Amino acid sequence: MSPLFAFQLRRVGRNRQYLLFTVVLPAAFTVFFTQVFAGAPGGISQEAAAATMVAMMAYGAIGAALGATIRLSFDRASGWLRQLRVTPVPQTSVVAVDVAVGMLLALPPLVVVALVGRFVNGVRLDPGAWVGLVGVLWLGSAVFVALGLLLGWALEEKAAGGAIGLVATVLAALGGLWVPVEIFPSGLRAVAHALPSYWYAQTGRDVAAGGLPGMTAVAVLAAFGVVFAVLAVAVARRRPLAAVAG
Amino acid sequence: MSGRDDDVPHYCRDLARGQARSVPANALEISGLTVRHGDVLAVDGLDLRIGAGETVALLGPNGAGKSSTVSAVLGLLRPAAGTVRVLDRAPADAVRAGCVGAMLQHGGLPSEARVGEVVYLVRRSYPDPWPLEDLVATTGIGGLLGRPVEALSGGQRQRVMLALALAGQPPLLLLDEPTSAMDVEGRRAFWTTMRELAARGTTVVFATHHLEEADAVADRVVVLAGGRVVADGSTAGVRSAVSGRTVRLSVGDDADLTALPGVTTTARQGGTAVLTTSDAEATLRVLLDRGVPLTDLEVRGASLEDAVLTLTTGAAR
Repeated sequence: MSPLFAFQLRRVGRNRQYLLFTVVLPAAFTVFFTQVFAGAPGGISQEAAAATMVAMMAYGAIGAALGATIRLSFDRASGWLRQLRVTPVPQTSVVAVDVAVGMLLALPPLVVVALVGRFVNGVRLDPGAWVGLVGVLWLGSAVFVALGLLLGWALEEKAAGGAIGLVATVLAALGGLWVPVEIFPSGLRAVAHALPSYWYAQTGRDVAAGGLPGMTAVAVLAAFGVVFAVLAVAVARRRPLAAVAG
Repeated sequence: MSGRDDDVPHYCRDLARGQARSVPANALEISGLTVRHGDVLAVDGLDLRIGAGETVALLGPNGAGKSSTVSAVLGLLRPAAGTVRVLDRAPADAVRAGCVGAMLQHGGLPSEARVGEVVYLVRRSYPDPWPLEDLVATTGIGGLLGRPVEALSGGQRQRVMLALALAGQPPLLLLDEPTSAMDVEGRRAFWTTMRELAARGTTVVFATHHLEEADAVADRVVVLAGGRVVADGSTAGVRSAVSGRTVRLSVGDDADLTALPGVTTTARQGGTAVLTTSDAEATLRVLLDRGVPLTDLEVRGASLEDAVLTLTTGAAR
């Protein structure tokens, strides 16, 4: 493990809020939503329980990927990125470590929520489907790592601090992760279909239903990922690292 | 630097060949450097050579181009024209090879980290890091290693930044206003450390507003104004480049200080008049003729501050 990778991981890990919002909260929501609907007349179907679990896996992973990467803005504001530039640490590994940390931290919510779904809410899937579900959502979280890096480069410190919580919340609410898109009014449904979070959860729902992720979902997600990554690089290039005054 | 077991000049490893190679005679070669920030010309065809082992102060008012020059040397900005060679390499390559340590004016420390972790990370990035105990003792950060970065005072923060600059025992140190957040004692300790490093052969280049620091530490002063070098030499040499004298005397409000021979600038500070003159004798004679009493008279040669002021305002004209 590279020293920079360990260093960055330790910094994020020290943030208790981060752990709360990306792992504990989605896990608690999974139990809460499922148990509430289970108490309603007619109970809750296996499919509905699985859908809730997938949605919360997606919600947790999106929050984790964004939270781990948008904070890049703080390192720009403090001058730490500039300081790092005058050490032998290569710029490429600074970027690579940010990507790697974002990807790694998307994994805990996926695994924890899946475990809660299986052992608390009794969701039953084939062993292969479990692995596939976690794997597909993990790969897909790269889209939100790219979005987080874009926001981290584009936003100033204060805006970035707000964006960490807000962007994940908006993506989750409008992307149908809290309330299923099926009960959205048609206008809002169109909005959901324009968001990467909807298609991200869709790949998970496809796998949980025993199939492969749909082509449309994968293509839309990949397109979002490429656009975010290209924009992130473009914005980063425009950021001067030198002090202008003096 | 007691831990160093030899007095061989520093070297930084050639990453490409994996070999050590000795430092070339020039630590820094800048020719025709031009830096623009948008429409503003920050550095204007600057030429500067700094030999290995020199201690050089970059002096000049805000906007003189000091920070832009330092940034170009560190590869933090792309010059509009000109070349910069750092220990015979391109700036970015020299930084990558661990040849350079720097304290930046707008550098910073990461949040949610402990001082010891940051120091460890930066030391690990250099091919030949300074042994931790010595580094900690020299920079005086012994009690700070376990502390969160957020809990540091301004002066402590500067000391940690210095430790990061020295972490790789680089042959070239670039310091942009390094003592701006330090108190008097911290400043003195800082420059003692710098003199020790210079004595060991480290090339030290620092930008500063504090002329007394340049006077006390540097063996060469480069004065910048308007992005150009307006004076370059020993501190004594730069001072003597300004032949004028400063005349101070206590005067009443009614004293006539206009049209005095030789006087280039006139300033009143409360009841004191400060005149710079190229001909102190003629100035004083006319003052006497006008019946101005020469109360608290003081005539002295230009300080380094006067010299820099004269040189930089002259260049701006």
